[in-house]
Amino acid sequence: MKTYNMLETLIILVIVGIMSLIGNTIGSKNGFVEAIPGLLILIAIALVGIAMGKYLPGGIPGVAYVVTLGCILTYPGVPGADFINACMKKVGFLALCTPILAYAGVSIGKDLDAFAHSGWRIVVLSCVIFVGTYLGSAVIAQVILKYLGQI
Amino acid sequence: MKNFKLHGVVLLLVIIAELIGIHKFQLGVGVVVLLPMLYALIFGIFLAPKFLKVVNKVDMQDAGSLLGITLMLLMARYGTLVGPTLPKIISASPALILQEFGNLGTIFLGVPLAMYFGLKRETIGAAHSIAREPNVALIGERYGLDSAEGRGVMGVYISGTVFGTIFFGLMASMAAAYLPFHPYALAMASGVGSASMMTAAVGSLSAMYPQMSDQLVAFGAASNMLSGLDGLYMAIWVALPLTERMYKHIYKFKYGAYPTGEDAAK
Repeated sequence: MKTYNMLETLIILVIVGIMSLIGNTIGSKNGFVEAIPGLLILIAIALVGIAMGKYLPGGIPGVAYVVTLGCILTYPGVPGADFINACMKKVGFLALCTPILAYAGVSIGKDLDAFAHSGWRIVVLSCVIFVGTYLGSAVIAQVILKYLGQI
Repeated sequence: MKNFKLHGVVLLLVIIAELIGIHKFQLGVGVVVLLPMLYALIFGIFLAPKFLKVVNKVDMQDAGSLLGITLMLLMARYGTLVGPTLPKIISASPALILQEFGNLGTIFLGVPLAMYFGLKRETIGAAHSIAREPNVALIGERYGLDSAEGRGVMGVYISGTVFGTIFFGLMASMAAAYLPFHPYALAMASGVGSASMMTAAVGSLSAMYPQMSDQLVAFGAASNMLSGLDGLYMAIWVALPLTERMYKHIYKFKYGAYPTGEDAAK
């Protein structure tokens, strides 16, 4: 897998940020300009998180730092959290998904045969995976609730 | 990174997809939701040399290698969605917290079935979780989304995006009708880290038990917030290592030797 240095990473984040901004403006009622602060904050969180994953010891993936940073900065009571939350309201979660899935679509073209080969199997497998997580959680919840006398 | 043609093409896909917008329609007992990201994905696939020949091999490779970083922007947003809900999560009941470990149930059913189907490294991506956005980002960072593991997680992610909502709605009604679970337990189980799946499952339960509706919605939403928080950490420290181990042992059982070369853990 090709790896990118921090400058390249920043440029990619900015490119995808601009695309999300355009998609966000078309697909939701949020204005172009009012979504800019939120996207800048997201780019900063992503960049810092990726750098932490890269340079901090412990082998913790960057994605864990990125999500954790996002959590901390918006935790009620943390200085600036209200401002960040207000900025975030203007950036739709779904608008951020669209460019990613567009890149994914283009990239999948390369592995079309592999996908076609495992296609129906993956669909059946997905159903079994959904059943697994649902029943697994239901069994535990049932046992604990019963034990606590809440049902 | 400097592939301007690729970025231009993707920008066009985004604009077209967002212009089409969200469409919902009724299918049997559930609602199917079509999102712009789905159109962007499908149109993107059709640009391949096999169909419209808009993109070439280099474009496809560049797109694959960029994916991991593009996902980080979404993950930053994801964190900011979870943050404001943290105080509520912390005060959750023990039943709510412990049922989170039930999400590992996917591994015990998923890994054996995937390997029975003849999938190899795809199994790791496909069966370690229900493959929502954080899991896709994690697999992307660790293995690359253009790897076998990446194909596995993307396959389940796409399946979930397309018919996960309707499947969870149906599954919740069936479980409530035929299995000996209390509706509260089923509502807690509905939170798997996807708001649409949770809403569909809790919606079915509420329709069957209208007098409990408020409580069911509250349990579902709280459990979904919890999964959103712990899903990623659980995947890193519990689910992925467990999946790798099960994969190794089932591999030996099926093929007579521990996995080596391409089939081994990286």
